Amino acid sequence: MIQNCLKQRFEHTSQLLRFCHFQLGFKSFSFSVLPMTVCPQLLQTDTIEKPAVCVIYPYCSRSKSLHDRAVINCQYSMATFSTAERKRRPHGDRKSSEMSLHLKQTFEAAVLTELYPRSQIDIYVKILQADGGNYSACVNAATLALVDAGIPMRDYVCACTAGFVEDTPLADLCHAEESGGGTSLALALLPRSGNIALLQMDARLHQDHLDALIEAAMTACKGLSKVLDGVVRQHLEEVSVLTRD
Amino acid sequence: MTSTAEPLEYHRSFLKENCRPDGRELGEFRPTTLNISSISTADGSALVKIGNTTVICGIKAELTMPPSDAPNKGYIVPNVDLPPLCSSRFRPGPPGEQAQAASQFIADVIESSDLINREELCIEKSKLCWVLYCDIMCLDYDGNLLDACIIVLLAALKNARLPEVTINKETDLAEVDIQKKRHLKINRHPVGSSFVIFDDSIIIVDPTAEEESLSTALLTVVTDEEDRLCAVHKPGGTSLSGEKLQHCINRAITRNKEISKLVDKVIESMKMAK
Repeated sequence: MIQNCLKQRFEHTSQLLRFCHFQLGFKSFSFSVLPMTVCPQLLQTDTIEKPAVCVIYPYCSRSKSLHDRAVINCQYSMATFSTAERKRRPHGDRKSSEMSLHLKQTFEAAVLTELYPRSQIDIYVKILQADGGNYSACVNAATLALVDAGIPMRDYVCACTAGFVEDTPLADLCHAEESGGGTSLALALLPRSGNIALLQMDARLHQDHLDALIEAAMTACKGLSKVLDGVVRQHLEEVSVLTRD
Repeated sequence: MTSTAEPLEYHRSFLKENCRPDGRELGEFRPTTLNISSISTADGSALVKIGNTTVICGIKAELTMPPSDAPNKGYIVPNVDLPPLCSSRFRPGPPGEQAQAASQFIADVIESSDLINREELCIEKSKLCWVLYCDIMCLDYDGNLLDACIIVLLAALKNARLPEVTINKETDLAEVDIQKKRHLKINRHPVGSSFVIFDDSIIIVDPTAEEESLSTALLTVVTDEEDRLCAVHKPGGTSLSGEKLQHCINRAITRNKEISKLVDKVIESMKMAK
């Protein structure tokens, strides 16, 4: 059953976050004998959509399992029709592998992996339509998927891009702005503590501008965390009403 | 008995009363919803949900040279992708057996039902033609994949718009006019209906993933809008009498009408919204 979503728009003088739709738990799954949770959810931010799914396996391949923690495994792939030019290699190319690794590192910082020794958490993210900010949308989708799975985390992980276009810091860049040649910075934040999980910046930027850019991204992330929180609470209310009957 | 400890007995107890665990009758399909034009980067797209099974299709058109054995025809290339996020039974890596079999089935349906005239896709004989890549992706697998794939392909092709292409006589290069776009001409409307056979005798329509795994045989019938048979696919399993097969075909014909109405309604509402 589809639980409906919260939509909010943030507008600051030089910062704009696109419309965000979040839907939790749109898939049902039957439990097998081994405890395994699957909790997919659909994330749509104006022009990027991707379903993120999270699966926990209570076991892991011998070579990769850790005795005291869970291993987080991320797979990022793009649908062939997601970009303007048809994407010939949706998996296995350098960009996908790099993204998968970044997602893995981001979530290792947030998920309480010590609670699941010798287990594996798989996060699969697939991009259906790409319009800039791929990494951020993936992180936000995966956060909600982990929340839906009931995996304990330190905090929500919210991500947003920011860039400098004609001396104005802009939050949440679209594809045209990103490929326009200006700076773009991707930031993944744990909003409550204000700790940065991942920061990536490409292209040249003057040192003085870095603070303004990080500030812009952080504000956008904090706004986003409120939206995510609202959606989770609303979903919880709806589910508890249904299960009470 | 519980549904996890003895799933077969659990299902049998419902079938005795002529119904199924989710409350459906034996011949009832799950509620089907359709959404088109959701992906703006694709030339045509559609999303279909049959119960929990969710399938999305994106059509991308590219230009290429026509095949040497058919210089006046274009290509249409379907591909079904079952990523690990749709169900835990699929592992990451190259396409598995089920995905490849589904891709081939869809290709056969396109060919046998004459869905689209390949000559229409040719722009200039022996020089230039369209190749339509139809990428079908399952987002949530809960049984009845083939039906959903056929519906979503049909809806996406009806929704697809290709730009006008002319060949400049002097430079011999193609000129694409993105402003002028036209729809594809769809000849036939094939719609599939899937059945499973339980315990060698009971036939159920539109199986869920659990029912599929407990069944003894699968059957898919594809008919077009003029009540003609396009494809019948019964990959082994227990045998079926001719009379029961005819019964299935009749049910498939009814289903075709329901789905055609749905697709037309959605496309009409899109046109009106514009």
